[in-house]
Amino acid sequence: MKTIQVDLAVIGGGPAGLAAVAEAKRQGIGRVVLIERDLELGGILQQCVHDGFGLHRFQKRMSGGQYAEAFIRDVEATDACIQDNTMVLEITPDKKIYAVNETEGMLLYECRAIILAMGCRERTRNQVFIYGSRTSGVLTAGAVQRYINMEGYLPGRKAVILGSGDIGLIMARRMTLEGMEVEGVYEVMSSPGGLTRNIVQCLEDYDIPLHLSTTVVKAHGRERLTGVTVAKVDENRRPIPGTERYIDCDLLVLAVGLIPENELSRGAGIEIDPRTQGPVIDQNFMTSIDGIFAAGNVVAVFDLVDYVSETGEIAARGAARYLKEQKEGNKEGHSAHTYKNVTAGEGVNFVIPQKVAAGELTQDMAFYLRVKKPDERVVLSCRMGDETLAKKKERFVAPPEMLVSRVQAGCCVDNDLTVEVRKEVPHER
Amino acid sequence: MQELLANIKSDARFEQCSVSASISEDGIVTLEGSADSWRHVVDIGHLAASFPGVVNVVNHLSAEGVRIEKSDNTQRIREARKRGVIASADVVIVGAGISGCGIARELSKYDMRVIVVERNADVSEEATKANNGDIHPGHKAKPGTLKAKLNVRGNELYDKWQEELGFELVRCGQVNVAYSEEDMRGLEKIYHDGIANDVPGVRMLTKEELLKMEPEVPGDPMGGLVAPTMGVVEPFQVCVALAENAAENGVEFMLSTELLDIQVMEDGRFQAVTEKGILDAAYIIDCAGIHADEVAQMVNDEFYTLHARRGGIAIFDKRVTGPYHHAMSAMPRKKDAESKGGGYARTPEGNILVGPSAVEIPDKEDKSMEESDFDYAYDRGKSIYPELDRRDVIAMYAGIRPADYKEDFIIQMSGKVHGFIHVAGIQSPGLASAPAIAEMVEGILKEDMEASGRTVSVREDYKPKRRPQVQFRRLSHEEQDALIRENPKYGHIICRCEQITEGEILDVLHSPVVPTTVDAIKRRTRAGMGRCQGGFCQPRVVEILARELDKDWTQINLKGRGAYILERRSR
Repeated sequence: MKTIQVDLAVIGGGPAGLAAVAEAKRQGIGRVVLIERDLELGGILQQCVHDGFGLHRFQKRMSGGQYAEAFIRDVEATDACIQDNTMVLEITPDKKIYAVNETEGMLLYECRAIILAMGCRERTRNQVFIYGSRTSGVLTAGAVQRYINMEGYLPGRKAVILGSGDIGLIMARRMTLEGMEVEGVYEVMSSPGGLTRNIVQCLEDYDIPLHLSTTVVKAHGRERLTGVTVAKVDENRRPIPGTERYIDCDLLVLAVGLIPENELSRGAGIEIDPRTQGPVIDQNFMTSIDGIFAAGNVVAVFDLVDYVSETGEIAARGAARYLKEQKEGNKEGHSAHTYKNVTAGEGVNFVIPQKVAAGELTQDMAFYLRVKKPDERVVLSCRMGDETLAKKKERFVAPPEMLVSRVQAGCCVDNDLTVEVRKEVPHER
Repeated sequence: MQELLANIKSDARFEQCSVSASISEDGIVTLEGSADSWRHVVDIGHLAASFPGVVNVVNHLSAEGVRIEKSDNTQRIREARKRGVIASADVVIVGAGISGCGIARELSKYDMRVIVVERNADVSEEATKANNGDIHPGHKAKPGTLKAKLNVRGNELYDKWQEELGFELVRCGQVNVAYSEEDMRGLEKIYHDGIANDVPGVRMLTKEELLKMEPEVPGDPMGGLVAPTMGVVEPFQVCVALAENAAENGVEFMLSTELLDIQVMEDGRFQAVTEKGILDAAYIIDCAGIHADEVAQMVNDEFYTLHARRGGIAIFDKRVTGPYHHAMSAMPRKKDAESKGGGYARTPEGNILVGPSAVEIPDKEDKSMEESDFDYAYDRGKSIYPELDRRDVIAMYAGIRPADYKEDFIIQMSGKVHGFIHVAGIQSPGLASAPAIAEMVEGILKEDMEASGRTVSVREDYKPKRRPQVQFRRLSHEEQDALIRENPKYGHIICRCEQITEGEILDVLHSPVVPTTVDAIKRRTRAGMGRCQGGFCQPRVVEILARELDKDWTQINLKGRGAYILERRSR
């Protein structure tokens, strides 16, 4: 078995991994390897032919491929080793990585630091409990996107889409442009799951109806899907008897959410937050194991790739600092700090990072969070006891759009933090 | 018969039913008329079967509001006949489920030509693939039945099958837990049945013994029952292994081939009319599962009727390991009379499996998993493992049990049509009984052949051991490394969740029973069986199948005919 010593291994060559490698090299980390299972870098971005990427970071509209290309160029300009077509099978708590490919067999990487950037996977019909028969013609939106955009095949003629997350909306437009009929988009929640701009540009512009508080309860057919039954749901998302409607269709597209892909992390014994389904991390995106960091959708599902790239860079800077401390023989990782917890307060579904090292912040720190329900005119704040470390007003918030709260460098963390979203008091300044 | 009819008449449940009944000399009751619901059609059938002296029940009752469409095959039969006799065999086996494949493999050791016809695109597509994989010990079968005898014998023979065929078999044992006096009485009855059936090792447990054996049993149990010979398998693995070994020994499998009709010729041979042409045969073995009664009707031997009992199962993410060593079951709170009640087990691959449910349905093809099936299966799991969380469900499916009204197996040479062997009503514990069923049918056939002056000799080149299959995921990293150096395709992971390599998929494509669909690849390799359910690997599997079978991507199906995945090329 070939054994390779590296300073940093990044697992996954999607947006988080690419940004992490580029930043790691800028920070001067020596031997860096990027392990990617696919033949090309870019991850899921490569199958996103639609534009709308990079609005924050590059202030222009790019396709997924173009956005990825910008980072791939950065990475390829460095001396980082790109190990493509290679699949990681196991990560051990002492930072060994076992990976395979066809030409070299089993590779053993002995790493001083690791950044996990494996992304996420899609939820399936069983996870949203669509009953009925198991036919062909039921696919996740990502699989449909892959078949159409990468492989050049259409998986049906008439589609029903369940889930109004961005990928569902994008695929509604894509399938329409390809000459397929999209009967409608169904959303179990009472508000859309995707960004407003996608509702307008992907549904309204193509007269595709969006049915809120409605879900698919059953799939019909013997071999191929022949139709679905949809039903209205009550406030607990339970189907309301008597509201069922049969729809004739040969394709059910599921855009019912994403789950961080953490099987490798679990195997290594990394602590997972049941809320986000990703690792519990500190402000440097370090996990519960010293020297193992995580970035992007493996931590929690972000909506904007810009944030994903940003977290890759945060993790890479964290890894650089960790390696530097280690080299200088200083205490590093968990033993060097006491940690304060960050809790999701009023109106907040989850917040990352979940913990912060006590002491003075040496640089600005970002909290990423999702609200529980749509609201208008709210104040987003980060409190430590009675002290408010950061505060900003938001005109409109909704669960699909991740919020960021930034606490400035210089703040001293000596107690647990709470991030919350409250209704704005009219005369509050 | 008057007594039966009077019983039906006096039963308030059957007020709306209009039934007439006749009984033949050999004890077969035929029911005609109508009932107000399917449930009552089945109940009346069971009631008739329970009468003393009744050997079996032909149930022609119709149910109000239930129309079962029967396809008219006249035209297809005419077309098929035009193709003429395409092969001549000693034995034609109808159906490639666990019974058909088990029998085929048993007969493959003899010097005779055996052909298996199967309407689906793969073996194990019906009840075999959709059961819970329990190799039951035999203590839950009614003493004195054929089921009881074959269940215990079959369980015993599984070790030999496992050794020769190389599938996974875990002898986990089964523990039943009682929480009330009533539960205890229930378990005691099962215990006594177990003793009567000669089930090895079955015994009652005190509370202390139970908790010593399985310390995590929830609540306040009163005691339990253990049956150490319980095993679990992946049922489709067993079926595929049997089919492959049978094929290695010369059995021919005609997949995607529906049997349309059977004609009994003047010389006593059969012409089995399939959609691909006529098979001439000396013997026909009817292993057609839920459709076995229809096949028997093709030779006018109608003495039983099958009714479909659906069972729904849920599978959980491997990450959830559960606290138990044994397959577990608390006494069910609600239970269909004919079900063993289902329970909780871990498959050999380590997934928790709960169920199955038991629901009588009129449509033999309706494998739809309903919410009520899931709720039942989930409740069976939760009752013994309260921490089980529905969010960890990765797959749900339903299968159809082919039950007759005596609720026993029917395995015999036809009394009417010599050479036609019935293997019907093979519902649970059909999987556990399969080796004994194969043995019994082998005996019936051999005896008949020898009686007609034919010598039945074992082939010299018979190989009972199946070619072993590479399972990358089960090897050490060193072994994996060596394997990839031998064949680089083992270094290309196709299914991430289950760690299945391209090498393994190529291996099974060279199997003697070639898988041609995405589901067939899944059953043989596990690609697509993990938590993402093929979300990532399905396009890759389609690509490999298209490449290796020299087909366009649009011609690759998920399962049989009509289950296409891709409709056409994009613009």
